[in-house]
Amino acid sequence: MKGNVIKYERDNIDTDVIIPGQYLKVHDYAELATHAMEGLDPDFHSKVKEGDFILSGKNFGCGSSREHAPIALSHSGVKAVLALSFARIFYRNSVDGAFLLPIEIEEDAYHGISQGDEIDIDISKNEIKNLTKNQTYKMKPFSEIIGKIIEAGGLFNYKP
Amino acid sequence: MGKTLFEKIWDSHVVVGKDNGPSLIYIDRHLVHEVTSPQAFDGLRMNNRQVRRPDLTIATMDHNVPTTDRGLPILDQTSSVQIQTLEKNCQDFGIKLFDINSPNQGIVHVIGPQLGITLPGSTIVCGDSHTSTHGAFGALAFGIGTSEVEHVLASQTLWLEKPKPFEIRVEGKRKNPHAVTAKDIVLSIIKNIGTGGGTGTVIEYRGEGIEDLSMEQRMTICNMSIEAGARAGLIAPDEKTYDYLRGREYTPKNYESLVEYWRENLKSDDDAKFEKQFTLHIDDIAPQVSWGTNPGMTCDVTETVPTPDEFSKGDSNQKKGAEKALDYMDLESGTPIEEIKIDRVFIGSCTNARLEDLIEASKIIKGQKVSPDVRAMVVPGSQMVKKQAEEMGLDKIFIDANFEWREAGCSMCLGMNPDILSPGERCASTSNRNFEGRQGTGGRTHLVSPVMAAAAAINGHFVDVRKMDLS
Repeated sequence: MKGNVIKYERDNIDTDVIIPGQYLKVHDYAELATHAMEGLDPDFHSKVKEGDFILSGKNFGCGSSREHAPIALSHSGVKAVLALSFARIFYRNSVDGAFLLPIEIEEDAYHGISQGDEIDIDISKNEIKNLTKNQTYKMKPFSEIIGKIIEAGGLFNYKP
Repeated sequence: MGKTLFEKIWDSHVVVGKDNGPSLIYIDRHLVHEVTSPQAFDGLRMNNRQVRRPDLTIATMDHNVPTTDRGLPILDQTSSVQIQTLEKNCQDFGIKLFDINSPNQGIVHVIGPQLGITLPGSTIVCGDSHTSTHGAFGALAFGIGTSEVEHVLASQTLWLEKPKPFEIRVEGKRKNPHAVTAKDIVLSIIKNIGTGGGTGTVIEYRGEGIEDLSMEQRMTICNMSIEAGARAGLIAPDEKTYDYLRGREYTPKNYESLVEYWRENLKSDDDAKFEKQFTLHIDDIAPQVSWGTNPGMTCDVTETVPTPDEFSKGDSNQKKGAEKALDYMDLESGTPIEEIKIDRVFIGSCTNARLEDLIEASKIIKGQKVSPDVRAMVVPGSQMVKKQAEEMGLDKIFIDANFEWREAGCSMCLGMNPDILSPGERCASTSNRNFEGRQGTGGRTHLVSPVMAAAAAINGHFVDVRKMDLS
C-alpha cells in the first residue's frame, strides 16, 4: 500500500481536533470529511489526497469514543495512520469499521519519515519502505484479533 | 496465584476465549445515547437483526440536548433529528428510554448509578469514553465505538483483548476534604503518569485516600481514568457502595443476597499481581488547575505556568506540545496560576455535576456574587440531581449569586449544544477535557474542581480554596 505522508510532529492528537464535537450530528460522511483535522490543521481538507497516510507521535486519537474520528479521516482519503502509540478506542474503531489501518511504529520510522515522503506499507511483512529516502523500518505487528479483524474487513465479518 | 478484582470480573464474563488471546466477553448493561448509536441501529436494520437483550439496554439523551427551557422546540435542526432518531430507534427495538421530558433524564454516567442500573461486579459499556465512571462501583465499565455498540446490541457480547491490571494507590487521609477534592486527586495522578500512562490497562484505585472518598467522589476519580489512557478504572466495592445502591428504582429485588456475594468476592486477592504500580500521598496533593490542552498539563494552584522545558523534561514532542498549548491558551510561562483571569465558569459534566459537587460549590458562593466580568452556569448532571438540589434550596443560592441554573445534559463539556465558549474566552470548568476547541472553537478550558470553579467565579480569577473557610 503506497502513499504520501502528512506528518504532525506532536503527541496526543485528540479526537476533538480530529473531528470537533459540533460535527457529531453530521451523518453524511462526505460532509464529515470536510471537517477532518479542522481543530488542528484547517488546511487539511484542501491538502489531503486519496491514499495519503498520517504520521504522528504518541497517544494518537486520545479522548472521545466517537467513531466519527476514523470515519472523517477515512472519507478524506486517509488509508492509514502511523503513530508511536494509539489511544485504545480510536485504535479499535479504526479496524472495527474497516476505516483505516492504525500502524504502530518505532522511533526510527517516526524520525526517518518526513512530510511528503512516499512510503510503501507491507503488513504481511510488518515492514514500511520509505521510497523517497530508500530506507526500511519495522512496524509493530498487529495482535491476533486485530490482524484477523483487518483481514476479515471489519468486526462483523470477523470469525475467531 | 491470586487474582485482581479486574481479573475476577473479566474471568466471570468470558463466554469463549483463550488465556492470552482474544475473548468474547458478556456485557451485563448497555447504556445508549443519541450521538454514537444511530449508525448502530441502522446496521441492525440493514442486516435484519434484533436487539438481543433490550431488557439490559437503557437509553437517554444527553450530549446535544438544550439545557434551557425544555418546553420550547429544539432550534438546532440536526440536534433535533438526532434526538428524534433515538426515540424512534428505542421504540422500534423495544428499549427503555429516558427522554428529554423524563424525570430520570440526565448524563448517562450520572443516571446509571442513580437509578441502581450500575452494579458491582458487572460489565457495563456505552458509546462514550467516560463509561469508566461506573468503575467506582466495582464494575468493569468502558467506552466503545459505534461498531461495537452495534455488536453489543446484536449479541450482548464483545470481542476484547485482556488489558493489564494497574494498581494506583493513594495513601493517607485528606486533612482538608472540602478543598482537596477527588478532582484534584485524579488530576494529580494524570499529571504524574501522563495522558498515555494507563494505555492498555485497567486501573484499580486503592489505599486509604480512595476508601475515604464518598461514592460520588469515587465516580469523579474513575471517570477520568480514560484521560490517563486506561481502558477502565475501578474501585473495590465496600459498605458505602452497597448503601448507595440500596433501594434505588432499578436495584435488583434480590439485592441483599447479591451484596453477600459481592462482599465475599469483589476484591483483589492479597497475592494478586499488578503489571504496573503507582503511589501518591494525599498530603502531596493541592488544588489543581490545568494550564494546557490535555489533562496532563496541570499544576498546583500555588504554582506558576511552567516553561515548555520544565514541563517536557527533555522530550522534544512534549516540548512542542507545551509551546503550542501555551500559544493556544494565550498564557506566558511564569504567570502565577492565581493571576489568571477568567471569563466563564462551567459547573457540570459527568465528572462533577452530582449533588455533592453542587453542595460543595454552593458553600463557596452562598451570599456572594459572581464577579461582574464572569458569566457562570450550573448544569446539573441529571434531572434528579436538579430536583434534589432544588429541594435543598441550592438553585436559589446559585441564582442569587448570578449563576445560570440549567436543565441536565452534557452541555458545555463538549460543545455539541448551544452552550459553548466564544473564541478566546477562558473558562474555569469542572469537566474532563481541556482539548483545543473542546468547549467551542477557540475556547480556552482550565480543568478544576467544583469548589475551585465556584471560587474563581466569585473572584474573577483562580484562588487557592484552602485559604477559604469551607467548614
